[in-house]
Amino acid sequence: MSRLSIVGGRKGGLTLLALVAAAIGLVLVVVAVSAQRSAPQPPRSVGSIDPAAGSPSASAPPEVTAARTKPLGASRPVSISIPSIKVRSAILPIGLAPDGTLAVPQPGPNLDKAAWFKNSPTPGQPGPSIIEGHVDSDRGPSVFFRLGSLRPGDTIRVTRADGVVATFTVNAVRDYKKSKFPTDVVYGGKDLSRPQLRLITCSDFDASIRHHVGNEVVFAHLTSTQRPQAGKG
Amino acid sequence: MRTTLRVLVPLAAAALPFAVMAAPADAASGSSYQTTLNPLNKSTGSGMATVTLNGSEANVKVSWSGLPAKFGGGAYPHVQHIHIAGNGACPTTADDKNGDGVISTTEGGPAYGGIGTTLSVKGDTSPNAGTNIKLAPGGASTTYSRTIKVSGAVVDSLKAGTGVVVVHGLDPATLSKKAQGEKSDLVPSLPLAATSPALCGVLTSMPSGGVATGTGSTSGIEDLGLLAAGGGLLAAAGVVLAARKRTTAGV
Repeated sequence: MSRLSIVGGRKGGLTLLALVAAAIGLVLVVVAVSAQRSAPQPPRSVGSIDPAAGSPSASAPPEVTAARTKPLGASRPVSISIPSIKVRSAILPIGLAPDGTLAVPQPGPNLDKAAWFKNSPTPGQPGPSIIEGHVDSDRGPSVFFRLGSLRPGDTIRVTRADGVVATFTVNAVRDYKKSKFPTDVVYGGKDLSRPQLRLITCSDFDASIRHHVGNEVVFAHLTSTQRPQAGKG
Repeated sequence: MRTTLRVLVPLAAAALPFAVMAAPADAASGSSYQTTLNPLNKSTGSGMATVTLNGSEANVKVSWSGLPAKFGGGAYPHVQHIHIAGNGACPTTADDKNGDGVISTTEGGPAYGGIGTTLSVKGDTSPNAGTNIKLAPGGASTTYSRTIKVSGAVVDSLKAGTGVVVVHGLDPATLSKKAQGEKSDLVPSLPLAATSPALCGVLTSMPSGGVATGTGSTSGIEDLGLLAAGGGLLAAAGVVLAARKRTTAGV
């Protein structure tokens, strides 16, 4: 061999090509792996669903047993913000699907918005107000993608059509199998007198059937209300 | 390389977004009902009610607050019922036929129907107990939970969406002068305010089963095409380099 084997000759060129291919391949793999986004998995059960009833759990922060905040009258919710998981969304009203399940935002401009179940109380009224959102859609992560990261003590703010901002504090997070979804607990519950909020999204993706088999429910209760400032929007 | 491509293309295709997720419907749907109780007749209260049916047995939970607390020195009795077989609606000011500013129980009748069950705190739950103020919850607020037998007509109305929870008893001070002087259309010994509807809500089915809020597009491996291409390139490079090394060693 008279020439340098690495840089010269047909075989040397092939080696170079292979090295370049390896480098590109490595970059692609790193990009693919680092772009991997998975929704945080909610805990199976944390906190107490009825913060006022029974003794406060040891893990629950003190504010979940705070004094009751006076209920508000009816006014439909217009937007939601959850600072700890950087959620901000408009809210659309939604009803029941023909099969009796809670309808969900459909493909189109509203797909990735939060939806308020219009037969439930408006946020701040007595009883559990229901707001749902997709965890993901065909476009990728959706409005409640990070809902699994919420924990007792986190706050949720809902702005109503009357301008009042109702602040709720999370007291419990549950991950239910859809087949064992406790309808009465989620849409009703023991304490109908207290203004509460439940956030619902999908959880527990089963790759074998390509479906989410779980629903995460975040239980929160009203901890403060803020009336709009006069002369300001 | 061509073989690698033949493998890569279907792999990349597999990474395309998936079909929409179907909603698994609960077989035993429609046995629980809910409603928000909103004010009628300038009442200031609000509340919520749920009914869970198990055959003809109903667990009824009613919670409300903001109603007048006192009546003639004692706790204000607020009679409450499940009204049935009407239009499945709460009345509006258009139902105030005599124009006294108050929708009386009779005037609200076409909207919410007649009494199907009296939500008394004890004893009789039939329509006969409808105006028995001794069996009614009293005061400004109540938290009520009682499991009672209901009639077939009540079950039918709940299923048809015409079950309506009505709580009665207004603060007389909120009535017009004319209405303050009127007698109850139901119990002539009582003033109109005492029996007129204060809160109303139409019972609707709770959603059945879980909620279909995801497609799974972010679960599992999402950038499968990219990953496969990168992996393919690495593998191909490895094969070439290995072959190259073998050739060199052979020389």
